[in-house]
Amino acid sequence: MSPEHPRTDRSVSTRIGARDISKNYGLVQANHGVSFNVTPGQIHAVVGENGAGKSTLMRILQGLERPDSGTVILNDEPVQLRDPQQAIRLGIGMVHQEFMLAPELTLLENLVLGDEPMRTIAGPIAIVDWKKALTEARALEKRAGVAIDWNRPTATAPVHIQQYVEILRLLRRGNDVLILDEPTAVLAPQQVSKLIALLKQLRDQGASIIFISHKLHEVVALADHVTIMRRGKAVASASVDELDIAAMTRHIMGDAPADPSEQARAAVVLPDARRILRVEGLCAVTVDRSQALNNISMDVCLGEIVGIAGVAGNGQEELMECLAGLRSMSSGSISLNGAELAGKENMDFRRAGIGYVSPDRAHEGLARLASIADNVMAGSQHAPAFLKGPFRNLPAVGRAARQRLANLDVRYGALSDPVSSLSGGNQQKLVFARETASKPQVLIVSQPTRGVDLNGIAAIHAILRQHCEGGGCVVLASEELDELIALCDRILVLSEGRMVGAVRNEDATPETIGKLMLASGDGLEMAHV
Amino acid sequence: MTLAAQILATTIILTTPILLAAIGGLVNRQGGIVNIALEAKMIAGAFIAIVVSSATGSWLLAVFASAALGGAIGYVFSLTITRANANMIIAGLGLNILVAGLLGFLLSRVYGTSGTLRLPDVHLLPKIFPESVSDVPLIGPVLAALDPLTLFAWLAVAALPFLLANTRLGLRLRAAGNAPQVVRSVGLREKSIQDFGTVFAGIFSGLAGAHLSLASIGLFNEGLSAGRGFIALAAFYFARNRPVGTALVCLFFGFLDASQIRLQTAGLPPKLIGTLPYLMVILGLCLAAWNTKRKLQA
Repeated sequence: MSPEHPRTDRSVSTRIGARDISKNYGLVQANHGVSFNVTPGQIHAVVGENGAGKSTLMRILQGLERPDSGTVILNDEPVQLRDPQQAIRLGIGMVHQEFMLAPELTLLENLVLGDEPMRTIAGPIAIVDWKKALTEARALEKRAGVAIDWNRPTATAPVHIQQYVEILRLLRRGNDVLILDEPTAVLAPQQVSKLIALLKQLRDQGASIIFISHKLHEVVALADHVTIMRRGKAVASASVDELDIAAMTRHIMGDAPADPSEQARAAVVLPDARRILRVEGLCAVTVDRSQALNNISMDVCLGEIVGIAGVAGNGQEELMECLAGLRSMSSGSISLNGAELAGKENMDFRRAGIGYVSPDRAHEGLARLASIADNVMAGSQHAPAFLKGPFRNLPAVGRAARQRLANLDVRYGALSDPVSSLSGGNQQKLVFARETASKPQVLIVSQPTRGVDLNGIAAIHAILRQHCEGGGCVVLASEELDELIALCDRILVLSEGRMVGAVRNEDATPETIGKLMLASGDGLEMAHV
Repeated sequence: MTLAAQILATTIILTTPILLAAIGGLVNRQGGIVNIALEAKMIAGAFIAIVVSSATGSWLLAVFASAALGGAIGYVFSLTITRANANMIIAGLGLNILVAGLLGFLLSRVYGTSGTLRLPDVHLLPKIFPESVSDVPLIGPVLAALDPLTLFAWLAVAALPFLLANTRLGLRLRAAGNAPQVVRSVGLREKSIQDFGTVFAGIFSGLAGAHLSLASIGLFNEGLSAGRGFIALAAFYFARNRPVGTALVCLFFGFLDASQIRLQTAGLPPKLIGTLPYLMVILGLCLAAWNTKRKLQA
């Protein structure tokens, strides 16, 4: 069978796979003799820490990288993938974490982009047949079991709809190998179960699905087979029935300590009843004048971690930016220890005792090309201790930088290295080292463990707990519900810019929070506080 | 009455080069490239139009030559951006200076003149309607002034929204400008799509140049384009890439240009009056920016 005509053929034993693939980037061995097989009609999970080599392997399967040795297998035959276009022709489609949809085009335009149905109007002149495109879209929509407003500009469509459109686009083009890179990271729990149902249905129709994930319970719920990667090698590959979560965790972590987020649960101190951060009637608008935040009120007590949950894009980011003094509010009040902060600037928020950890580490949290020392000392440059006349007192700056980094156990090469040389976890710890150096009372922390491996996550969770035990408090926004449930004393839920509910830790489950996340913000009574 | 009609007719004609360049730049920008070298292609088009018109005696061949030269310069320009990864602003600035310098060199070396090139037997753009239509009330002078490039420019404005929305190229161009990585991920070559946009801008700027030199004056001057490529840039920025809005802004600039000529004959200092359209561009852009800021803070 010619490899240029793939499509579902149940007679082959390997629809897509790898045999003995190795790939080096300089001295880093990203993949080392990796083999795995995906049969037709199988959901195959690939799990492992960041840096375990999953992404490299997927890039090779998509033709974005060529392996140094070993081969990609398609329909039982070795194949050389020259470029992504060829991989697409061979039926391999990727659902990226950052959706590959043009935000200013409509959903329908995105669906057909690159393979537009055409209608001849005169001789050789043809235009896009939008009617036919819509008919095709409706048929796909029915297959997925969701309602989609196809003429909506993509940027305004909810995230899970965008994800469906991306999957449907691959199906429309006849891709029957789907690679999904952490597809549930952006979804609410109920949406996750819908996605799982869709993927299972596609599998039953013969599709081969590769599913990359950090969340082992989803792997168990969805996958037929799991391959575990650690340090560039496939360390285990078995049917999901044969490996339980504990066994998977052991394979993922190697000899590192097991799941740390469970341990310290008992040690959480009860919150002091003193409310130090008060937010009342906070409203803010976005560029297009839509209401990003609508009448938000909340209190945060000393020693408390307050979680902010919501489906991505429902106002969490805006709320965190308001709390950090980075976004101007249209009305309402934010006060810390009784001092009003509304209308003040970020620097005033910082002086008052508020630290901020941005969700966008690469652009907001760090100056990527600047040195490790400059990054960890930023904001303190005017302190008299670090100045000598009009100049910086470099020895003092270096000593303080080393001290700050050591306090939070940041692993680095030299102070003068660019901060981009650090791993994701160490970059994030550096941000915390900077933000906690001035001993702020309140830490505003947004998506702190995004792109951080399991050991880094454990360290960051420990930092947050320490901050509270040392008399501070934390407002934590996270897309990881498990993280919020493990850390927070209370979880507040935002939907469409309104506070739709608050859940105490003892009542918090993914289901209770998920239900609130999907609630419409309009006319909804606050759920139990 | 006749004065108003005459200003209107002058407005339409003076709008054409700005409009043609703006259409090109607008398509280019929808494809993701900000083309600040419209000016270079315009002045090159104006030059070649005079040379070819004089040599062949055909205004049509001259117009084709301008389009071809503009397109060719546009293609090379595009390659430096999409393939050699040059910064589009710096490369554009460089091209503007390079073309102006080359033309000055050609004028002195080949034609032994500096600044202005007069050639024999230059055939100007014909008028679409016979002289007698100027007797038609109100729009008579406008109709009488119409030339093929002006008509073409306005037809292009009318067709552009449809073409951008309903042709394969239009869709892919908008996608390439909005999210190039998406275009790549669906198996298309976004750089080639962007190259098309820059060639298109080159062709239209070349036509704009042909109109500058062949509409009425029939000679080439180094200062002929007088920043109109930048005015065109301001026009589609101002109208946020919408074809009809851009055309209206161009018309407004054309009107300023036309009334400026009238005001000069009324005895006001000509150099000062000449700055009026450019002043309005700066004012307009400030107003647009201020408006956006106001919305942001509301």
